Amino acid sequence: MAKFRLDKFKPIVALGAFLIAWWIVPTLSKSFLPFVKLSFTEFQAPAWIVSSYLDDLESFWARRSHSKIELIEAGQELARQKAFYQLLDQRNKSLETEVMRLESILHMPSRREFRYQVARVIRRDLNAWWQQLIIRKGKDYGITEGAAVIFAGGVVGRIVEVNAFTSRVELISSPNFRMAASFEGDTRPVVYQGVPQSGFGGPIGEVRDAPQDLVANTQNPLRLVSTRLGGTFPPGLMIGSVSWLEPGSTGIFQAGTVRLDKRLLSLQEVSVLIPLNPLNYDRDVP
Amino acid sequence: MFLDPRAIILFATNALLLFLCLLVNSSLSALSLYLVLLGPMLVLPALYLNHRSFFICTLLTGLWVDAALPAAFGLFTCGFLIMGTPIAMARIRFRTEHNYHPILLAHIANFACLILLAVSEGLQHISVPAFWLQLVITLLFSHAALLIIAPWFFNLQRLLFELCHVDTEPDEFPML
Repeated sequence: MAKFRLDKFKPIVALGAFLIAWWIVPTLSKSFLPFVKLSFTEFQAPAWIVSSYLDDLESFWARRSHSKIELIEAGQELARQKAFYQLLDQRNKSLETEVMRLESILHMPSRREFRYQVARVIRRDLNAWWQQLIIRKGKDYGITEGAAVIFAGGVVGRIVEVNAFTSRVELISSPNFRMAASFEGDTRPVVYQGVPQSGFGGPIGEVRDAPQDLVANTQNPLRLVSTRLGGTFPPGLMIGSVSWLEPGSTGIFQAGTVRLDKRLLSLQEVSVLIPLNPLNYDRDVP
Repeated sequence: MFLDPRAIILFATNALLLFLCLLVNSSLSALSLYLVLLGPMLVLPALYLNHRSFFICTLLTGLWVDAALPAAFGLFTCGFLIMGTPIAMARIRFRTEHNYHPILLAHIANFACLILLAVSEGLQHISVPAFWLQLVITLLFSHAALLIIAPWFFNLQRLLFELCHVDTEPDEFPML
């Protein structure tokens, strides 16, 4: 009779021991697994940063191949745009002064102020499970968890993880993303939430708790914008457009699909809004 | 020797495959396409290495993948070891000198990885048709890409064995 061999069960025993250790270690030391994850993440970050800088270098050399005539024309176009934006800036400053004057007369509470940190997108993870971006700035630029992320077309998402040189952004189209919003010209708050994406057409989300008197149609879609409720986003930033509203599951409010900006799928650069006076929940929340 | 030097080569190639895969995914995001090419990472470590080196290589690969992807930490660390152990135990049944069996195993492991992701990360969206549509597209696209990627990847790993002057044959088969 062949001798019964125990050594063939070695891999199973090793696997069992590992799984038990994986289950027990977090209960003994809560910081062990986060430390392991952080170590591996930071170890990988340089590869992504280098690849992003190589992309920048590639664009630089691509631009170097343009002729002088093309560069002069581009410079002229930029000068025209700069003059236009300088005019807008002057108008913006005068309006801001007027708003501040009115706020002081009415003794309104001060608004949250942000500083803008522009960051390159180095990776996009957009699939059935995640809708996230990695940007090339982290703790080194004072990025904080929960900070708002925007671009020229409106809201991009929110920072969910900050590492030493990179940060992870949860996109507005992610089912894990939810924020307070309102329709343009209407101060009543509604709830915006991301939904699983089908992969066909542009990104979408859903709006809930919209008042019954709002009517949306394809000719005049309603624009959904951010509000200052929640304190993360400044008010008035574009989220998307709603071209159809129907009674929600409660029957009291309406719900509908929000069409988001298609550029969300191919972002190159975003701005992170870092609050100048972060909310202190012990102090600021009654 | 405590650790077979081939484990380091296999881990490095796994990290390279993941990096390239995520780079491609980043570029394809505008088309809403996504590649999951995790299956090939399990195959040659399980078929070539002794169980200690296989365990270390697969553990490091799992931790590497877990740190790179936004999935729950430990999903692939534990998942890879659970998937790899049966392959390692049954490796005498597979021919490693040709690509046919490794490719077949890579497809099976990749499918298991997709199922693992769908169950662990997408269970709350199980009733949403859009989720299933994207999952099916990802599955078909990934396995179509795997038909080309897997042979290249296994040949690269074997080539690196030769270039690094390490043993090019699988370890002995103690687990009959």
